[in-house]
Amino acid sequence: MTMRFVDEFRDAELGRALAGEIRGAVPPGRHLKLMEVCGGHTHSIYKYGVDDLLPPEVELVHGPGCPVCVIPMGRVDDAIAVAHEPGVIFTCFGDMMRVPGSHGTLQEAKAAGADVRMVYSPLDALRIAKAEPDREVVFFAIGFETTAPSTALTLMRARAEGVPNFSVFCNHVTIVPPLRALLDSPDLRLDGFIGPGHVSTVVGARPLEFIPADYGKPVVVSGFEPVDILQSVLMILVQLRDGRCEVENQYKRVVPYEGNLRALEVMSEVFTLRPHFEWRGLGFISQSGLRLSDAYADLDAEQRFAVPGVRVADPKACQCGEVLKGVIKPWECKVFGTACTPERPIGTCMVSSEGACAAYYNYGRFARERAVV
Amino acid sequence: MSCGEGHCITCSDEGVPMHVVAVDDDRGLALCQDAEGARQTVEIALVGPVAPADVLLVHAGTALLRVADAGLEAAR
Repeated sequence: MTMRFVDEFRDAELGRALAGEIRGAVPPGRHLKLMEVCGGHTHSIYKYGVDDLLPPEVELVHGPGCPVCVIPMGRVDDAIAVAHEPGVIFTCFGDMMRVPGSHGTLQEAKAAGADVRMVYSPLDALRIAKAEPDREVVFFAIGFETTAPSTALTLMRARAEGVPNFSVFCNHVTIVPPLRALLDSPDLRLDGFIGPGHVSTVVGARPLEFIPADYGKPVVVSGFEPVDILQSVLMILVQLRDGRCEVENQYKRVVPYEGNLRALEVMSEVFTLRPHFEWRGLGFISQSGLRLSDAYADLDAEQRFAVPGVRVADPKACQCGEVLKGVIKPWECKVFGTACTPERPIGTCMVSSEGACAAYYNYGRFARERAVV
Repeated sequence: MSCGEGHCITCSDEGVPMHVVAVDDDRGLALCQDAEGARQTVEIALVGPVAPADVLLVHAGTALLRVADAGLEAAR
């Protein structure tokens, strides 16, 4: 089936032409490291082999933009504790079921008797709550500003429709604070950013302006098809060549520079910033996580249930932190593809199809990379 | 929209272009279909009135934006 706005951006001829322009735009003698912030880009890059079209002087570094990958083990333990509460139906997106906590996964909790169900949207979770009024239905909310409006609207709907047995275990995070933390990290050297496309549909491109203004790095907000990504790489190279440094929007067909004001309104009504939130591999980052606002505290699973809230250190063998910061490539992790695989992940980056490790593993990229080493 | 088949809705920046099949204005929902033919009920509160054949960017069951007829020229 063909679809407008999709097929055109997978055009091989256009991709090859852009790759040629990229080769011509590399500044002589430079090795450039560009970070794609979000997991959606990482996945597209390996699915379509975008990196194979780039010259060796242009290296793509994979950023922290997969919300599954940044969930710390302690929060998974909290989720499992809630799932084991009597009468609870615990709902979550599919990938979250396989994320390891310190004592197993939600999938294993389900096998042990907890009622854990996969849903495709928070709206599905609300539907279950309405169908099962005698049970407590909890939704495990994760994600950046793309998913947060969906959770917010569902909570508003739960309030409007009077669904008292529905609550949300909120783990939403925001994109700007971790980017700032990465840019402040001394072991990271980057020349530019492929900006988050769909996060920007909500928050707009303006919140990214601090990257050129404070750190002197160009940003191009990019779409997710291969032609989008190639064009964004070219736009960054042209900025570097011309000595410009600004936020540009490659994804104009979707991203308005100001974002979606209605989405920002519903988020500010339903959520409030936490003072700090823990990120896997990155540690605690100030004002980077969201909790339910006081007006919605009665629908907050953390208020309704006893949540252990114990901080758990990442497994020693796992180097997700370095992968998330782009300091090492996934295949450089000691357990990559051996002890840690998508079937039995140790680290979160191997769980989601958009995690850098899983993207490498699933598309066979590790073999070629290892041969180079 | 399924997990483990190339992409997952869990992920932050996964948005799926879908076209509107039918609209339920009373409930603020629309039935939408993606490029693979999969259908889903979608929350449309953030995009205002929609009509059949409109293309929406859908994330986790919520339409974030209407996709505009621009961009391809920019890519070429």
